Amino acid sequence: MTKHCCFVTGATGLVGREVVARLLASPEVERVYVLARGGANGSRVTAPPLHGDLRLDGLGIAPDVRARLAREVTTVVHLAANTSFSQSLDEARATNTDGTRRLLELSDDWTHVSRWVYVSTAFVAGLRTGTILEEDSLPVSGWANAYEQSKAEAEMLVRAERTDWVIARPATIVCDDSSGRISQMNAVHRALRLYFGGLAPMLPCTDQSLVDAVTTEYAARGIARAVLAPDIARHTFHFCAGLGAMPLSELLDVTYDAFLRAPAWRRKGIVRPVRTDLATYRLFEQAIHDVGSDRVRQALRSLGHFVPHLAYPKRFATDAADALLGDSAPPAASFWASMVNQLVGNVPVLEAA
Amino acid sequence: MIACPGISAISYALPAVSRSVRELAVAGLLDSDPEVLERFGFERVGVAIEETPYDLALAAASAMLREHDIDPSTIDALLYGGAPGAIAFAKPRDAAAMASGLCDGHRFEYPATRLQFDLGLDNATVLGLDQLACTAILGAVRLARALCIAEGLERVLCVSSEFYPAAAGREAISNCTSDAACAVLVERNATRNRIVGGVSVTKGFFWGAGSMRDEVMASYFPTAAHVIRRTVANAGWQPEAVNWVMPHNVSATSWEILFRLAALPNARLWSDNIRRIGHTLAGDNFINLRDALDGGAVKAGDKVLMFAYGYGAHWTGLALEA
Repeated sequence: MTKHCCFVTGATGLVGREVVARLLASPEVERVYVLARGGANGSRVTAPPLHGDLRLDGLGIAPDVRARLAREVTTVVHLAANTSFSQSLDEARATNTDGTRRLLELSDDWTHVSRWVYVSTAFVAGLRTGTILEEDSLPVSGWANAYEQSKAEAEMLVRAERTDWVIARPATIVCDDSSGRISQMNAVHRALRLYFGGLAPMLPCTDQSLVDAVTTEYAARGIARAVLAPDIARHTFHFCAGLGAMPLSELLDVTYDAFLRAPAWRRKGIVRPVRTDLATYRLFEQAIHDVGSDRVRQALRSLGHFVPHLAYPKRFATDAADALLGDSAPPAASFWASMVNQLVGNVPVLEAA
Repeated sequence: MIACPGISAISYALPAVSRSVRELAVAGLLDSDPEVLERFGFERVGVAIEETPYDLALAAASAMLREHDIDPSTIDALLYGGAPGAIAFAKPRDAAAMASGLCDGHRFEYPATRLQFDLGLDNATVLGLDQLACTAILGAVRLARALCIAEGLERVLCVSSEFYPAAAGREAISNCTSDAACAVLVERNATRNRIVGGVSVTKGFFWGAGSMRDEVMASYFPTAAHVIRRTVANAGWQPEAVNWVMPHNVSATSWEILFRLAALPNARLWSDNIRRIGHTLAGDNFINLRDALDGGAVKAGDKVLMFAYGYGAHWTGLALEA
């Protein structure tokens, strides 16, 4: 059996590092090339990091290196992305959509490639509601932010250009593993801090709202399996909590129970956010836009890029992912409280392994 | 049988002069864009020029006694909330100078006791309420109700009067304000406007009205919705039973939001005065109730819910059966 020679973008990110470690630990992998803009941790790969940039033609990779990649690479794993929710569509496309196009063009010449794994996001489903199947077609409009749109557009490119594609769609990653350890803050953590600080008084939602969240460990395990498993070309995998997603009401109970454990917070008497419909939430956003301070405006703006998702309840089906991995993702309830406790300082911050 | 006190009379007084939002903007008395404030429902506010808070208080209370032919000697207690001490006798342009009276011998010259004398309330004990901001009159009514029940008082006159000193602008968290006074008579055996419930929540964390403006603004809605729900429950009502909400006259937009959050499916918001007089620190809810009763909007037996927020920070709800 020919061993994999992987080319990985985004290997310096939280999930990317974990994916690369898993690939390196696999006897099926001979070599991993990683692309990095500003250098990478070379000790965890079998070749020095390749300097490059998704925003440059040919990814900015030197011609001799490109020739070597063309001879050796059998598997492309595209993780790199600009994950900011607040960026403009042009900014998001520059890295996420056009970067993917450039990688597709570059890998066109890599004749040994037989698997092209694109790491997308479950939220390419945008503002759809109900059960989102892994085999559902992509929406052509209706996303909550430019990040989602640019990722959906990139998915479309990969599907159109390759016949060997595999799409991995993780849900929101909120902590490293079941310990709740947070190695890297993201929009969810910043949002929780706004609610903790009493600067975010409302949540747009319905009675069916769910929060789907996973750990880095689970997402990386899924992606690595999507790289190595045989006979899964042209399949999409939701690496999501799925049936283990938390109802919003339960998530608020758990979150505010954790907040209440902080004595200083308890004394403030901050009321948990009131749940409301999206129209009312939009009215509030407009009022803050009109007369709020810059600080509150900024808080609302940052939430506005993804919190409205709660008003579009959806559950991600995970049948293909479960079959691929042989089990389901850990339920969000199994790590959410630990994660929040660390975020608000109720427990000592766990050091990353 | 425990008495169920109610409100048998309401009067109010506004200054002789009023100004439009545009005029206030031209005079540099607003923080916000006047177009935004107009979009929030504000049009005109009363601006005291020659009147002191005490003048307005006396006018409101006198009007009540006169309109309802009330013998002043039958008032058992006077509860006064509003501009404190010497400043209550200041014209807006003199407020800063008069405030120094709080630090000298004028410190003990109180508007409440002077009201008792000027109105001839010979049998009324006097209490002053302070530090409740826009909920002062609601606090006074709450206390009046308790005095009627606990001490058997028959008639308690609640008076509140507030103003904005000339240099203080006319805006409070994006709400245009009128100088005004309001007088409310609570009777132990009132036949109308029985007080059937009330809830007041104070959150000391938000005491710094200026430094915590963002936090106050953010906490306003969830706490207000919470207090409204509790007030309805405290009155023994179901949410769908509420007929009217008598608001404090903050922006119509914020009431549109709060009204949705309050989830009172059959209630109507009586908001006519937001445009006409804006927010008074002295007693929006009761001024509105008086006008709504006079205009025939509120009928006998209607279930009326009042809500107001006051700096400090106080969220207060009151439930009445008209």
